[in-house]
Parts: sequence; C-alpha cells; structure tokens
Amino acid sequence: MRTYSLVEAFLRHARERPLAPALVWREEELGYGDLLRRADSVRARLKAMDAPSNEPVCLLAAKSPEAVAMVLACLMERRAFLIPSLDLGARALRGLIDLSGCRAVLTPEGTPRNRVPAGAGGAVPPLPEDTSFMLTTSGSTGMPKVVPLSAGAVDRFTRWAGGRFDLGPGSRVLSYAPLHFDLCLLDVWATLAHGGCVVLADPGLAARGDYLLDLVARWEVSTVQAVPMFYRLVAEAADTKRQSLPGVRHAILTGDSVPGPLQRRIPDLLPNARLYNVYGCTETNDSLIHEIESEDGLGAPFPLGSPLPGVTVAVVDSEGRPFRGSGIGELWVRTPFQTLGYLGRANDRTVFADDPGSGGRNSGPFFRTGDLVRRDETGRITLEGRGDFHVKVRGVRVNTQEVEHVLLHHPDVVEAVVLARRDLVAGRLLHLVVRRTPGSELNSLVLRRHCAARLPRAALPSTVRITDDALPRTSTGKPDRERIARVYFEPDRPNEQGEQT
Amino acid sequence: MRHAETIREFVVTEFLPDVSAGELEMDLDLLESGIVDSLGLLKVIAWLEERYDVVAENEDLTPERFRSIASIAEFLEQANRSPSEAE
Repeated sequence: MRTYSLVEAFLRHARERPLAPALVWREEELGYGDLLRRADSVRARLKAMDAPSNEPVCLLAAKSPEAVAMVLACLMERRAFLIPSLDLGARALRGLIDLSGCRAVLTPEGTPRNRVPAGAGGAVPPLPEDTSFMLTTSGSTGMPKVVPLSAGAVDRFTRWAGGRFDLGPGSRVLSYAPLHFDLCLLDVWATLAHGGCVVLADPGLAARGDYLLDLVARWEVSTVQAVPMFYRLVAEAADTKRQSLPGVRHAILTGDSVPGPLQRRIPDLLPNARLYNVYGCTETNDSLIHEIESEDGLGAPFPLGSPLPGVTVAVVDSEGRPFRGSGIGELWVRTPFQTLGYLGRANDRTVFADDPGSGGRNSGPFFRTGDLVRRDETGRITLEGRGDFHVKVRGVRVNTQEVEHVLLHHPDVVEAVVLARRDLVAGRLLHLVVRRTPGSELNSLVLRRHCAARLPRAALPSTVRITDDALPRTSTGKPDRERIARVYFEPDRPNEQGEQT
Repeated sequence: MRHAETIREFVVTEFLPDVSAGELEMDLDLLESGIVDSLGLLKVIAWLEERYDVVAENEDLTPERFRSIASIAEFLEQANRSPSEAE
C-alpha cells in the first residue's frame, strides 16, 4: 500500500474533499480547498523573496490560519523552516536566526516592515538532509537550541498519531499549545495529514476556562491534547456551569504530573473519553504512552507506559551502563521521530549518545532525557523526577520536583514551584510559590501542615508565597524558574535550581 | 500562660503573615511543621530577650523548649520567675 507524506496527504484531501473543514478559527470554518489556496499564495510570496530554495526560512506568526498556511507552504516547497516562539527576547531570536542561517524571515502579509527582524547575514550552516521543521528547546538554561526534524521523522510520527487517535475525516482536534510547540505535530499536522479538522484555540484566551469549555463543546471536539492545567481550567468552568464534554473520545495529558484531585474530576468532565499519559521531548517527540485506567493509583505517579512502535528505551545507571530489572536510573530514548542532534553543535555527545548496550549508533543516537525513572519488578517505569532537580538542603538530598508533586495534590493548589536558593547561613533553602484555586482561602499554615504530613523535614520549604496569579512560564510552557525567583524573591540572589554538580 | 497570646501574635506576624492568629493552635509543633527552622528559632529567642528582657542561657536553648506557643510561654514563665526570686 502506498503511504503518503504529510504534505502529499494534505494535498490529496484538498483535491478530493475541498469543502471539508480543515481549520476552525474564531467562529469560522476554513475548508481544505481554501487552506490550500492560502498556502499557494504564501508560496508565491516566498518565491518573490528571492531566497534560494535550498535555504531555510524563519516563520514568525502567531497561531492563525495564515500561520498554518505558512508552514504548509514551506512543506510543499520542501524547504527547511525555523519556527521560534514569539515571546523570545530580541537577542535570543537574533541568535536562533543566525544559528540556523535563515536569511529570509517570513511574517503574515501586511506586517509592518519595522516589526520584521533582519535575516541572518552569514553563511547557511549545513543542515541535516531532508530537514523540514526546526523546533527549539525552551532555553530555561540559556540560549534555546535548534532541533531539526527530517521530513521522514515527521511523516513517521504523523502516521502513528493519526491511527492512534482517530484524526481522520469527521474528527475535530483541539490545538491548545502555541504553534511552535512540538505538540502541534500531533494536534495540527497529523490532523491535517489525516483529513480531520483542527480547532485552533486563541492563544490570547488560553487561560480562560469558560472560553476553552465553550470552544470544545460548540465545535464538538473529539480529541484533546494538553497540559494538565488545561484540564483544570476546563473542569472548573464545567463545574460552575454544571456541564460535561461527552463528545471528547481521546484526551491526552502531557508535560506534567497530574494532581490527584484533577484526575478524579476528569471522568465526570469527559465521560466518554479514553485518557492517555504521553511522555516525550522536543528532541525525540512522543516516546511512551500509557492509557490511564480508573484504578491507577491516585496520587501515585502514572506509569510512563509502553514505547511507541519503533521506540527503544533504556534505563541507565550513573556509570552510563544500561541495566535490566528493577532500579532507578536515567531514561534514554531512541525514536523513529527524533532529531539526530542539535543544529550547529558538534559537542552534544553528552545529550545524544551511542547505544548504551552495543556502543554503536547505526540506528541513530539515543537521547539522554535527564529524567530519573524507577523501574519495578514488573518492568513498569515511573518518573522519579529530573536529575537536575536534586539539591542538597542542610546536607540532605532533596528532589524539588517531589515537593512540587506533594503540593499539587492539595485540592486548592493550581500550580506549585519549589526553588532551591543559596542562603548565606544555611547553605541552601527551599522556597515555595503556590497559585491557589480562585476563591479558596488557602494560607501558608494549611500548606505547611500539608507538607509536614508528607515530606521529610529537610524537604519542608523555608518560605511560602501564595498568589492568585498565574506563575510565569517559558515559551514551551514549563515554569520559568528564573522569572519566578525574580518576581517572588529578592532579585539579588541567583536561583540555584538549574545548577548541576 | 499569660504571654501566650503575645507570643502567638509574634510568631504569626513573623512566620505566617497571611494567617490569622486564631488559626495557630497553642500546642502545634512549630519545628515539626517547618514553620520555625533553626534560624527562625534564633529570631524567636532574640525577640523574647528584647521584649521580655530575659536572658537565655545556652543550656536553655534546646529546641524542645520552643516546640509550640505553649512551651515558649512556659519557658518565659520560668525565666521571668527565676531572676525575680533571686533578687
């Protein structure tokens, strides 16, 4: 049977079913035929830019049909493209454009000239063969890195996702994450490859539970993929309106641990949905999947589940040796969907490694995730936390992520971030910032009691800040620890969180 | 226990600024709950010395004596009594 690439499949849908809806954006549906016409007009603009067709282009556009058409135009032209976050500072954006050698910068038609950054001045670095998407890491520890994905890797992924989550004609798939997130490979690009309709959430309204609830209900969304915060916002709005979302068939949770109280609410919110916990990184794309059963231990971490077809995982000890059987180690992953390495970096052997068993790399490098996992006697793998979240507090090794998990299990906690900061007297102390549910009267005494009942002494935070505001996040949705430290604690002491020893 | 109310006010203002004093039980273990750590303990003692003009000898400074509002109040009762009896 002939298999179609992402772009071939999209073109086929546009030809055979031009009136079928491809996108929903702000109250309006856009058909496959119309979307193709918009992509064609972007292609004409690209040609007029006079950038050689073998050169990459930088796409700067907020989520919109125009932005989707811009990506499709590049795919149709087989042109590599960088798709950075729009929230990057000018310096980081400059660095990314230069690093990837994008001499052309494409923005939506009508963007004022002074809002378009200049293209790269230097030579184009050699890109890996067949590069299409160039995503970026969050850059929480400095300059974001460029993650080039080959068209083949993207095609393999969209093929798997389409079959697994029913993204074909008639399906409606919510796109919640911003367009530069790896999550869009599933909710936007796999959907368009399979003939479904992408319901684009307006990034400006992404924190409004009532808007999101209404969007999913009105457009009869059948597949949702989002971070736990999305489900929490929607569950709260649904409680107020006494409403549920029976149309959702597949609900994918990504990127975080799921607080117990939230897990208990999801079955009422999505009575007909199969729930999945998906583990992946920008570098590897989705790697492991676990279908959540109602009997899964509430509060306990979900198993990471089974490797996706073609994915190999290894649990590796601190000496770099993979081991079988039970124990704790770092998770290494190799997927058919992954990048072969960051752009312009010869020295990332610490991150992209040879096969820890055979020492070779014939089937591609392994990606060292930095995540510590526990494998039990039955082979089940659960997340222990990140290697770099381990800090010593008064001489005791503490995992700050574990503290965050404990806090997230409190019913009035929406977000929790624990920072380990240097203290002149005590060495290092833990500082906690919690966002509480609107209207709750959560205070520091309640939180301290909650922690004291569940954590060892050394892991108890020294200071507790409670806020009603959303905590700052990076462009890929992770808590922005540096900004949180600046906003909630004195600006003169650096946050020690990311420091590795 | 006449000083307990004042001590509780201080502990709440210093360590639990978003909590109303009445919520903090007199016998809650302040150390076990992480409200007062070893540095916080020094703050409490400095305040006691300043406010009540007591002198805490090193042997008095076992954390046991400062576990709760009630035990701090008790410490204060004894500390106040001893010097006046000596006069």
